[in-house]
Formats: sequence, C-alpha cells, structure tokens
Amino acid sequence: MSNKILVVDDAKVVRVSLGKIMKKLGFEIFEAEDGAVALEQMKSHPDIAIIMLDWNMPVMNGYDFLVALRAQPKHATLPYVVMVTTETGMPSMLKALAGGANEYIMKPFSESIIRDKLEILGIEEPR
Amino acid sequence: MSLSERAFTNMHDFLKKNSGISVQKDKMYLLESRLNPLVRKHGISSLEKLVDMVCSDQTSAFAHEVIDCMTTNETLFFRDSYPFNALREIVFPELMAMPSANIRNIKIWSAASSRGQEAYSIAMTALDVLPGADKQVKILATDLSPPAVEYAKGGIYSQFEVQRGMPIQELVKHFKQLGDSSWQVNDKLRGMLSFNVANLISDNVIHTVRHHSEFDVVFCRNVLIYFEVEERRKVIDRIAKVMRPGAYLFTGNGERVEGENSKWEAVNYNKRPFWKMLSAR
Repeated sequence: MSNKILVVDDAKVVRVSLGKIMKKLGFEIFEAEDGAVALEQMKSHPDIAIIMLDWNMPVMNGYDFLVALRAQPKHATLPYVVMVTTETGMPSMLKALAGGANEYIMKPFSESIIRDKLEILGIEEPR
Repeated sequence: MSLSERAFTNMHDFLKKNSGISVQKDKMYLLESRLNPLVRKHGISSLEKLVDMVCSDQTSAFAHEVIDCMTTNETLFFRDSYPFNALREIVFPELMAMPSANIRNIKIWSAASSRGQEAYSIAMTALDVLPGADKQVKILATDLSPPAVEYAKGGIYSQFEVQRGMPIQELVKHFKQLGDSSWQVNDKLRGMLSFNVANLISDNVIHTVRHHSEFDVVFCRNVLIYFEVEERRKVIDRIAKVMRPGAYLFTGNGERVEGENSKWEAVNYNKRPFWKMLSAR
C-alpha cells in the first residue's frame, strides 16, 4: 500500500488542516476541490491508498464521486474511502456505506478521531 | 497554581487510602492539571486550600468529586482492539463449545468500566458473533466513580465520543441518534448490561459482584498501573475470587497479573497477552 492520500473538500481550510494532520502522520498529500477533480487525480495517481472525502461540494459531490469511483473495477474495493462531512444523519451514513465508503467522520474532526479511524481500517501510519 | 510538598503528601495519602491510586512525585503535574479546574469551579482560593478541605472531611461530597476527577480517565470504544478480537476468535468460540453452553449464561465483568465504553464494546462484540447473545451474555460494568457509572447507565455519548475507536458499522447497528448530535445505545445492547459502583481496593467489591456468580471473562484494563505492587496483587486476588477456573482476564497493555502467579497462564493473541485462570481458588 502506498502512503498517498487524497483529500477532497471544496473548503481550502479543511484541505489544509486535514492535510497537515495526515502529513504529520507520514502520508503524501494530494488535493482536490470537488469530485470531478478527484476523479482526475485518481487517473494520474491510481495508487492513492486513502481518500478523505467531503460530501457537499460543487460540480460533483462526494457521494457521486464515490459511486463513480467504485464503478471502476480497479477501484471497486480500494482505495479506502473515509467520508469527512457535516452530513451527520444516520441515513447519510447508511447511504455512504452502501455506496462503498469504508469509514465515516462527522465534522468537526480531531487528530485523535482520524488516528482511531485509520487504526480501525488497519492502516499503519507511515512515519 | 502548584502544590507544596506538604499538600502533595496529604493529597497522595488521601487518594491512596480512598481510591488505591498512588500518584508519584514525578506526576505532580497530573494532580495540578486535574485539580486546578475544580479550584476554579468552586471558587477556592488555592490548590493548597482544596487539599485542606478534602483532607479535613474525607467523606464529603467534595472529597468524592476530587476522587472522580482523579480516577475518571478518557476512554474509547474498542480500546486497543485486540481484546475484542481475542474475545471474538478465542474466548467466545471456546465458551460456546462447552457442554453446558446452551443452558448457561456467559458472564463478563468490566471491572473499571469508566463511562461504559468498554462494557458496551464487549456487548457489541458478543452480538456480532453469538446468536442470541442479547439473552445469553450478561455484562456487569462497575467503576469507583458514581458519576461515571451513571453516565454508563444512560448510554448516551457525544458525537466526539462515538467516533473514538468505534467502526461506523457498529455505530449504525447499535446506536440511535438523538436530536442534539448525541447518540444512545439501543435497548438490545443496553439490556445486556447491569451497573454498579465498586471499589477494587476494598474487599467489599467481592460481595458487590459475587451475586452475579462466577465470571467467565473479566476486563480490568488500564487501572492496575495506578496501584503500587502490593495493591495490584490484592486487586488481582480479589478478582480471581469471583472467576471460575478456566476463565479469562484481560489487563491493559503492559499490565501483568500479580498475586498468586501460579494461578495464571498467559495466552497470546497477536503477541499481546491475556490471562487464563488455571486452578480452583
């Protein structure tokens, strides 16, 4: 598994803060501001291991990106997709899980929550 | 605000007598960081004054609040994950293979349960692997702190708490969402647990938990490290008195069984030990 991680969020401040945490843990960070850019990033870097994915974004939202990603045979189960979103209702969680998400973080997030979720997925911090 | 030598000694003795915790001098910062918020909350003039108040009436509500403050630790669901995987892969299959498995309950004690995350994690694990676990598995959750036990009993956790250690699949399966972004364990999970206040450093703990009969599994994690060696031995021996031979004990990372060592066999799960009680008491 590579140490590449894609952070997808239309808010730059979130991309920066999430990226900062993940960089500290030893990951190499790639960014996208919406689902469409994220699909392009996946084409350029198919070995990305984890995607931290916002839900509500312009152009292509996180859920539509997730469905498009999992429809590709090579990405049917990997990379790991962790939703990071203000959509904190149970129906959204069930929808994301059915769509192929592996974990779900309700904003606001903290470093401890992110590290717990990586551990749950069995992902070792590269550092 | 910091503590003088005399106040530190008095607080050390008070905590040791009432909770078993032995705070060493190099952990003085821990006392200060936990007690200073109480100084502010109650408008007390200094940390020294707080110590005087506690030591002059060691049974007061305020003294209990100080003990809670020093003994209630941040915890998370499925902490360290391996004890729950060991339950899933080793302990529950063994219990279910016993000849009496169909007719007897499986009894589990979470002996330092804090706010209940450990006990509910055990219940979720049981429900995931044992058909009928909600009827057959009985979990007793005890803690020294009455507010922590009440919190566990309520089974309501903040958005932050449910994200600490818990896979999202467990959250959607076993919790219901309340209006204020908090989450409550569902009735099925809640029905597997009972709760009690119990102090591991007192012999009374045996009487408190004994009516639940003999335990098949005991979790006593991340609490032994706070006790001195002699106290650890006594605690382990008390726990052994309410376990059936062949039962399993899970301690925290780096915590080993002391007391009558011949009673225990280390079982390794992914290089992490837990303990099987060998002989009759």
